[in-house]
Amino acid sequence: MSVNLTCKLSDRVLDSSQGSSQRQLAIAVSAGAAVDGNNAPLNLCLVLDHSGSMGGQPLDTVKRAARDLVDRMYLQDRISVIGFDHKAHVVVENQPVDRIESIKAKIQSLKASGGTCIDDGIKLGLQETSKGKDGTVSQIFVLTDGENEHGDNERCFQFSRLATEYNMTLHSLGFGDSWNQDVLERIADAGGGAMAYIPSPAAAGEEFQKLLKRVQAIGLTNAHLILQLSPHVRLAELKPIAQVAPDTIELAYQTEGDAIIVRLGDLMTDVERVVLFNLYISPTSYTAEYPDRSEIPILTAQVRYDIPSQAQINALSSPVAITATLVHDYMPQLDPQVQNHLLALAKYRQTQLAEQKLQQGDRAGAVTMLQFAAKTALQMGDSNASTILQNNATRLQTGTSLSEADRKKTRIASKTVLQPPPNS
Amino acid sequence: MIICPSCAHANPDGAVNCEACFTPLPIVKNIQCPSCGSSVLSDAKFCGHCGFNLSGATAINALPDIHAENAIAPPVPSTEVFPVIPISSAMSNSLPDATTEGDSAANLETNSFGEVPTLPKFTDIENLLAAEEQSLPIQAPANEPITTSASEPISSPMSVKTQLQQFAASLLHVQTNLTIEIPAHLPVVHIGKPNTVIPPDIDVSGFPDSDIVSRIHADIRAEGGSFFFEDTGSSNGTYVNNLPLPAGNRHKLRAGDRISLGKGDKVSFVFQLNP
Repeated sequence: MSVNLTCKLSDRVLDSSQGSSQRQLAIAVSAGAAVDGNNAPLNLCLVLDHSGSMGGQPLDTVKRAARDLVDRMYLQDRISVIGFDHKAHVVVENQPVDRIESIKAKIQSLKASGGTCIDDGIKLGLQETSKGKDGTVSQIFVLTDGENEHGDNERCFQFSRLATEYNMTLHSLGFGDSWNQDVLERIADAGGGAMAYIPSPAAAGEEFQKLLKRVQAIGLTNAHLILQLSPHVRLAELKPIAQVAPDTIELAYQTEGDAIIVRLGDLMTDVERVVLFNLYISPTSYTAEYPDRSEIPILTAQVRYDIPSQAQINALSSPVAITATLVHDYMPQLDPQVQNHLLALAKYRQTQLAEQKLQQGDRAGAVTMLQFAAKTALQMGDSNASTILQNNATRLQTGTSLSEADRKKTRIASKTVLQPPPNS
Repeated sequence: MIICPSCAHANPDGAVNCEACFTPLPIVKNIQCPSCGSSVLSDAKFCGHCGFNLSGATAINALPDIHAENAIAPPVPSTEVFPVIPISSAMSNSLPDATTEGDSAANLETNSFGEVPTLPKFTDIENLLAAEEQSLPIQAPANEPITTSASEPISSPMSVKTQLQQFAASLLHVQTNLTIEIPAHLPVVHIGKPNTVIPPDIDVSGFPDSDIVSRIHADIRAEGGSFFFEDTGSSNGTYVNNLPLPAGNRHKLRAGDRISLGKGDKVSFVFQLNP
């Protein structure tokens, strides 16, 4: 099993007379298809909210969606189910998916009552998942419909980070409209997973299937991107690294010696993760040393990853070197693909800024930023997201405030591409 | 430092996209206008000084054959590239040009001066004479400017370079009897009132009845030593010698031509060649 690693600069040509040029580097990473066509078995844990507010149709549909999910899993996979209200308990212990009927019956026994304590649920989920984590791809789905009223959000984030240390991935699903999108997004981002929004009970099944499809495509886990920057290259000071596909996540990085290490998490075989780096290149020192060379080295990229199906850890891909061309009469030659990634990040950041401004009470500023974001979405060809963002801007402008559902839709619209561009 | 226009984040020099919100930043880089040489922002569509279409220049630049006969062209290539200029350089080459014979240095001088020869060409003078004999009994002493100006570049080609501006022609505003020089270094002189699209080189907004003049009213083009008048789509039209000049038609100006901007002969000029 191998890694596909492709790197692209936003503009391969550099103006040699300019002291410092900004370039974006898009690195696309995906897992190569398995030789035998099979990925490692899945070790899935469902952490389900059954607080009082889930009573009636919501809990029924979630239970049905969970049972459907069990049906779609393979025999060698493992499952565990945690239920939580204001405290958490194990519903299905970590076990292989062979006694389907008994697993389904246990899921069916969940009753709605009590409050919400997400961190306890996550904690127990981590414990159950760790029982079967060897040789598997460990994934945790956290579904909730409300605020973390009996728990501590900071504890949630700590558990999310802990999950990544144990090589597990946390996905979050928000159900209905009263959950906190900031908390769930941070849980998913820190846990290396995706955030999904279930606006109505009917959509629960579909979102579960979507997430399951995504985790079943995971070929490699615990991937880290390792970059060695040339001495004349530096990262931007503010938020230099972000994932832009399949969804937008701000990534933190560590430095070890002169290497920059970014955790990517799981690598899928069908969808590539694209990470965007914001770099500044100052070619003067290089041209002073090698005045006759027109190729300037930028960095080398390498991926470190685990192969769960072969129980191999810390495998290394072959390094890829990236260079740029120095010219005197500079004309921009923008890479359209990287440009699209740039727009994706711009859309996310602009929406984030709009929300910050809204929280500060700067309504006019928020409207302007939302309109910027809508324009950016339109430039990407994502007219669905553009419509959502523009509608929100218009609503703010006319003086009405955004509903909770609108805020969630906005977050999802900014984070993912709702409508792929027609040419891809 | 570049301040982002949408989120006010301070970006370091060389930034193309804002670090905070990734909005594309305006590139604050000055370039030289290929037409008049003044410094303009590199993202400008038109030169703020002469109105040269900067976005068109790069597109036309792609045409390879324009430079063929101008191997000794001045270092600013786009001067020759402006759609009108190739015609003029072809014209000046085919004409029996007095200045080119025997003195290529003089020719180079005038060429590098922005393709606007500061003296009337031989044939133009003949035309001028013929025209004046035909129709215009106007006071312009036709013989004097020919003799003085024709001898000038041959005797001292360097003097052309040191002079900052030379006025070859002027417009006399009839209603106020005020003379406006036509800037000689511009291949195209825009006439109108202040606006955001094409700033006028000759601003008529100060004249009485200027409300009938459009903001972008007309152009005077200097080509091969002659001047052409052209209406650029004004609202109230342009009249030359009391006859309407349809938009898009060029009128070759002769000394004494009366140009009226708008109807009713309210803002009128008499074209004069300077002595």
